[in-house]
Amino acid sequence: MNKFIAKSESSKKLLNIAQMSSSLPVNILIIGEKGVGKKILAQNILPDASIFDAKTLEETIINKTANVEQYIELIIINIDQVVNKKEFLDKLENIKLVATTTNVSQDIESNFAIKLDIPPLKERKEDLQELIKMYVDEAENIYEINIDPEDIDIDLSTNGVSLKKSIFRNSILKSLKDDDMSYSLEEFITTKLKKDYTYKDLLEYFEIPLLKAAKKEYKSQLQMANKLNINRITLRKKLDQYSNALND
Amino acid sequence: MKDFYEQLIENDLNPYLLFDSNGKVKSYNKEAEFLLNFVSIKELFQLAVSNASLNFGFNHKYVSLKYNKQSYYAILVGYANDDEIALRLYKVVSNNTHTIKDDKLKLVNIFSLIDLSKNSTLLHSKLEINELYDISIPEIKININDFLLCLNECFSIFKNEDFISLQVYIKIGEYEIINQKKCKIVSLEFKSHGNLSFDKSLEKTLEAKAHKSNANIFFDHNAIKLELPMIL
Repeated sequence: MNKFIAKSESSKKLLNIAQMSSSLPVNILIIGEKGVGKKILAQNILPDASIFDAKTLEETIINKTANVEQYIELIIINIDQVVNKKEFLDKLENIKLVATTTNVSQDIESNFAIKLDIPPLKERKEDLQELIKMYVDEAENIYEINIDPEDIDIDLSTNGVSLKKSIFRNSILKSLKDDDMSYSLEEFITTKLKKDYTYKDLLEYFEIPLLKAAKKEYKSQLQMANKLNINRITLRKKLDQYSNALND
Repeated sequence: MKDFYEQLIENDLNPYLLFDSNGKVKSYNKEAEFLLNFVSIKELFQLAVSNASLNFGFNHKYVSLKYNKQSYYAILVGYANDDEIALRLYKVVSNNTHTIKDDKLKLVNIFSLIDLSKNSTLLHSKLEINELYDISIPEIKININDFLLCLNECFSIFKNEDFISLQVYIKIGEYEIINQKKCKIVSLEFKSHGNLSFDKSLEKTLEAKAHKSNANIFFDHNAIKLELPMIL
């Protein structure tokens, strides 16, 4: 089980409330965007509880394919996805619930005595730093490279999920050797050839990154043409051809 | 004979008050004395004057009134001259004994629940609370889930305020008979500097939530008072 990272003030408070309420006979609702750590916090509150997706559990109850009364505590993921919330919660009346949701509605809220609203990662700077460190360490171990967190283009659009993805993507790219690059290109081209791509179609997959890198590296078109050893008119033609992709 | 009628009124279960033309109380019975703890003389005088008949005589009116825990279903206003006006209120009486099912009650420290509710409801709020707690209050039996739901609503009302005081104390001299046992009453008084503004529907919701958690709730212009029996 992962530990809920609580380095920022708001996370410390949340963890404190979670710990205080874990032993009480009350239902807890964890609210937050995708990837903020709702499920991890729920597991910190009820480490031994079974975890169910709300929609699946609702279907199970309707179809009577399992006996929910056997449980004394449950973690329910995405409770906002349940269609008939009142009936659903009535069926689980005698079970201690910790539920997660991205959307808050009155009919859910009114059934939960404790509500824990986890802010997005961008508002929890200390937690973000700790998570970056954790994922960077993990990636360094797997790919056997050194990563400077400053060099990573971090994506927080879906908080921890996109953060981890961006760090690992960056690490994979950094760890690629010539052989790996050649192999992955070969794999990539093979899939494209199966879709009837021509030589001309495939050329842009080489030329766009090449021109992007050269644009970053060299100051002027003159310098670019000299260093790449191609004619200036040819370079200008290529830059015009891919202007949309190069200006993104 | 006159003494007998006076005694009858004095011992009536319904409050009776006699005002002079300036709104001063000239006479009242035991029940009215109790009622005056919760409602001002001015308010009752206004009630009498605004419901008096056009000419001398008596006027009954069926109204729904609530002062503190007591509800009234009707009033009688009477006057025989311009100097005096009498008001009698008719109590809604229920002889149901107050029983609470014990199976969902759990012995708990009330201050822990207040802390829990305060921290979770006001997590992102800047409200400062001056806490005046009587820490001698022992652990009491509470329906934790329902009480927290009610407490959360109370804190939510003050979410956008800067400062409130919260006083928690045992009421002196007041008791409730629960499951045929005499229980003291714990009062939680949320007080704001400014006037509170919330609609009647929220008042009703809070009353229902308080009732479900075996508590009573009272609203003032700047305060909310939650009272619950100390079941030990």
